[in-house]
Amino acid sequence: MTTSDQVRILNGNTFVVSDDRGDIEASSTDPTGLFSFDTRFLSRWILTINGQRLTALSTDDLQYFDARFFLVPGTGTVYIDSKQSVIRRRSVGTGFSEELSILNHAEEPTDLTVRIEAASDFADLFEVKDALKKKGAYSTQTEHGKLVLTYQRETFARATVISTSEACEIDQDGLTFQVHLEPHSSWKTDLNVAISVPDVPDARQDEAPSVLAWEALRAPSDMAVDLQHWLEAAPRLECDWDSLRTSYRRSLIDLAALRFSPVTAGGHSLPAAGLPWFMTMFGRDSIFTSLQVLPFTHELAATTLRELALRQGTRVDDFRDEDPGRILHEMRYGEMTAFEERPHSPYYGSADATPLYVVLLDEYERWTGDLALVRELEFEARAALNWIDEYADLQGNGYISYRRRNEQTGLENQCWKDSWDSIAYHDGRLPGFPRATCELQGYAYDAKMRGARLARLAWDDPDYADRLEREAADLKRRFNEDFWVADGEFFALALDVDGSQVDSLTSNNGHLLWSGIVDDDKAEAVVGHLLGERLFSGWGVRTMAAGEGRYNPIGYHVGTVWPFDNSFIAWGLRRYGFKDEAAIVAAGILEAAEFFDGRLPEAFGGYPRAMTKYPVQYPTACSPQAWSTGTPLLLLRTMLGLHPVDDNLVVDAALPSSIGRLELLDIPGRWGQVDAFGRGRVDTRWRTDGS
Amino acid sequence: MADAIRDFFRELEKNHQPLLGKVLGTVRFDLTDAGGTTDHWLVSVSRGDITTTQEKGKADCTIRSDRKLFEQLIKGEANAIAATLRGAIICMGNVELLFAIQRIFPGPPKKRQQQGEAMASS
Repeated sequence: MTTSDQVRILNGNTFVVSDDRGDIEASSTDPTGLFSFDTRFLSRWILTINGQRLTALSTDDLQYFDARFFLVPGTGTVYIDSKQSVIRRRSVGTGFSEELSILNHAEEPTDLTVRIEAASDFADLFEVKDALKKKGAYSTQTEHGKLVLTYQRETFARATVISTSEACEIDQDGLTFQVHLEPHSSWKTDLNVAISVPDVPDARQDEAPSVLAWEALRAPSDMAVDLQHWLEAAPRLECDWDSLRTSYRRSLIDLAALRFSPVTAGGHSLPAAGLPWFMTMFGRDSIFTSLQVLPFTHELAATTLRELALRQGTRVDDFRDEDPGRILHEMRYGEMTAFEERPHSPYYGSADATPLYVVLLDEYERWTGDLALVRELEFEARAALNWIDEYADLQGNGYISYRRRNEQTGLENQCWKDSWDSIAYHDGRLPGFPRATCELQGYAYDAKMRGARLARLAWDDPDYADRLEREAADLKRRFNEDFWVADGEFFALALDVDGSQVDSLTSNNGHLLWSGIVDDDKAEAVVGHLLGERLFSGWGVRTMAAGEGRYNPIGYHVGTVWPFDNSFIAWGLRRYGFKDEAAIVAAGILEAAEFFDGRLPEAFGGYPRAMTKYPVQYPTACSPQAWSTGTPLLLLRTMLGLHPVDDNLVVDAALPSSIGRLELLDIPGRWGQVDAFGRGRVDTRWRTDGS
Repeated sequence: MADAIRDFFRELEKNHQPLLGKVLGTVRFDLTDAGGTTDHWLVSVSRGDITTTQEKGKADCTIRSDRKLFEQLIKGEANAIAATLRGAIICMGNVELLFAIQRIFPGPPKKRQQQGEAMASS
């Protein structure tokens, strides 16, 4: 969980970011603190001994929920020969607890003044980097041996309560301990930093706490035991390639850390988007990650489906870009959302989450056979399918397109490539709005086909199924005419407002294979591009092909390689029978993972592999990212060719020869548990060694 | 203005509410006016069919707010989830029912939507 010298530990959406000494000293450029519900509850937490800061000897963050800091008093010396050492052991639950120990190694007794400075700015996560001025009032109380920091704006109240096991002096700015240490003895205190969401001031004592207050106080389960259970429940991977085993285990642990349990989920979890800044529900990220990990765990998909259903759009609301049937983009809990200064309560500006919702529901049923959930969510799935035609066809041309209605704080690009310049013509021009990007049409096609299957299987509505299949067939026919760039033999990135083709060659072609919208006679040309020199770097498929006007190997969506993107491309290649090509993509990405100790970044540079020899990481604020974490799991699925057919799991392995032997044992599903075996036979070196 | 709230619930009782088609449970709204008087509306939802009584009966979910905010909610002028986040609505009990029942509140008033439509067609 460490980037540079920051240490991050978390439990759901409560997390602590500190420096390597364990200190928190937040500034606009240094977003450290204790965060929960998208609010910073502690922005200052600085330990001094006799007025001096400390120096870190080493830091352990062995588990994602606790960390140990080994320190010595004093700073700035090259060689430190200290008579005391200090250990801070911190674990995050609701707020955090910290065991502070001081060891005296000297032959003489010593007296120390130990001080912890504490303060909170109660910044909304949205405000942290913008340093916006707060509209509420702060107060500090020092009663009953506790330091209570409070922020209040109208009915919005947040508080931090700091307490300690050893006696100390408490003032407005912190705690001071006078410590006497005999020779070779030690002292310790337990510090507790609790977060609180107080009820309205006149709340009666005899009433149950409100849901938000209760959620803030909810005691965490034993996180170490929970992690152990999580790992034991996952299928076992046996293989000759150490690096793949490392990536698999890293992914499982990171997935555990990324679990987020919304207040309505009864303790069940869905995958949040990224750690720590995106520890919340995202339609797109939660769905893609749930799809990636279905062969390994079903709970994340089930919770994602239920929780997104409960928050599905029901009205037309321009501020939130909400429509009936639309699946949310992002949910936030902070002050700016609460006062409708930001639209995330929730915000709906995503054009892909809604069709992908239906895709996930069908894929979930194929793995689990859980018809009960498919029936329970019939209303929401139909509303999602209805959204595609009733609300997303902004131009009346039969395609999903997007344009934000919230011009102030809404999202301009509502597809996964959401940066400002990601959707561009070959000559670099940007199209207008509404924009109909190609992968959205693929998702819509897949949603209709899968919706038709569910309508027959679970909803007893064959007429609806027929209608959906007719619409899907019509969409596919039109799409293959309107989006096909005939002289380049690939699909355009998007259609512009006037219907002209946004003619860049991009990785989106791979998502089209995944969704099945590509005519069979066009697939070979598309695959040729995906594995061709312009798109394939040797590590993976670039977001945008070399030679495009805006191509940049370190441009966020215009040339970098995204592991998640590649995992779905590999799935698409399998769907059209290109097993060896899928193995090549898998090999490239999994070999890249070796350079990141098994934790794939969100994106890395699109430089040719032969040029850099190692994948150049693109700097991002969040690591791990959920859909990068899910990538090795989906690649295992595609390499083994796992394919659920009724109550059987078909295995049709096509592994890179570098892997040797591969066994995935106890794959859960409607078949009970089955094992899958494969032996490497696809020579991928000619494509991935960079020569 | 209490009539607006009464009318809102009476209207809901008249028709089956598909948005609440899966909901089974009781929600009590405790609405306090500026003078400190609290009205209680006990809403019983049975798979989309609603009956309302004005009593302080036991409920699976209790939603407490001031009456003015509730009047804004039923006109689409306020958002229930945002209001909950800022403590203007206090929800006790089964919070899933809050998420479910807030679906029956309308979208923002027409004026705001027309601006949106003008934007979409410009």
